[in-house]
Amino acid sequence: MLTQHINVTDNGIQPPGESGLYNRIAVLRAERGISRQSLADAVGVNYQTIGFLERGDYGPSLKLAFQIGEYFGLPVEAIFSTKPFVPLSQQVYGASTGATR
Amino acid sequence: MIAESPKYFWFSTVRRRTRRLVVVVYWTFVLGLFGVYQWALVYRAGHFGSNDLLLPLYVVIFLPAYLGGVRAGGIVKPFNGVHWVPLPDRHQTQTLFGSSRPLLGKQYEQPPSLLALKLRVYQPVPAGDDSVWRSDERELHQRDHAHYLAFQAVGVVICVPMLIASMRLIRPSLMSWIPMPPDAMYYGLTLVTIILFLTLPQAILLWTEPDMEDVQP
Repeated sequence: MLTQHINVTDNGIQPPGESGLYNRIAVLRAERGISRQSLADAVGVNYQTIGFLERGDYGPSLKLAFQIGEYFGLPVEAIFSTKPFVPLSQQVYGASTGATR
Repeated sequence: MIAESPKYFWFSTVRRRTRRLVVVVYWTFVLGLFGVYQWALVYRAGHFGSNDLLLPLYVVIFLPAYLGGVRAGGIVKPFNGVHWVPLPDRHQTQTLFGSSRPLLGKQYEQPPSLLALKLRVYQPVPAGDDSVWRSDERELHQRDHAHYLAFQAVGVVICVPMLIASMRLIRPSLMSWIPMPPDAMYYGLTLVTIILFLTLPQAILLWTEPDMEDVQP
């Protein structure tokens, strides 16, 4: 539970870690230029916990998941999922670009 | 769950390797202390003196403070998420001595003495938004898991003296090889149980928590 290993599978999708949850926190944070500390302060957790969430090593409580969703202005299912997210490039441009799942 | 600036240590606790080294040194010290204590008891054929209470008092009061958890200021954040501040207006506080002058500074990293609490010089305050003291939900989950593992180990340790005690009652001849008197042995095992009870959860946290990450990656 407490180890941090980041592996990438053959299809390029990062496994969800020990929580079994995929998430887009790192992408959303990078997109908006938000530091871990800022996000942690906003949702009331330690910044280390944000790292655990991003790696999927910790599954958030329902309350924390909603708080993160409210912070980013997105529904919870847009940030957390039990299945791998479709890459944004594929969502925007479709399969014609040759993007693999 | 790991404090970023522990009071009793001058080195960084960001790296797990460092924290594991602290645990090893700490337990080596405790085992050495305990070994000397047991040797002294055996050497004196189990006769307790008033000085023999010093080590248990030291173990209960001071040893856990270094690792934290049960008290603030150690490497591990306080488990109860409470830090201690003086009452906001001491002029309105009825104390035994009736002093209206603040005796100490404005904030404390150490819990006050029981006497100070009884005299209402201090009050416990929930840690609020202070991340130095407050544990979030992941850290609370880690805390509970560490206690679960630690209490399993403590349970095993408690079973050992019970089994030995039972054997001594049923078959005294089988246990004659133990070189120390029964009271010294039971007293020592009880002390080990107390030490484990007070420090093992913190040691598990320090051993398992990965390296801290940078704030701004």
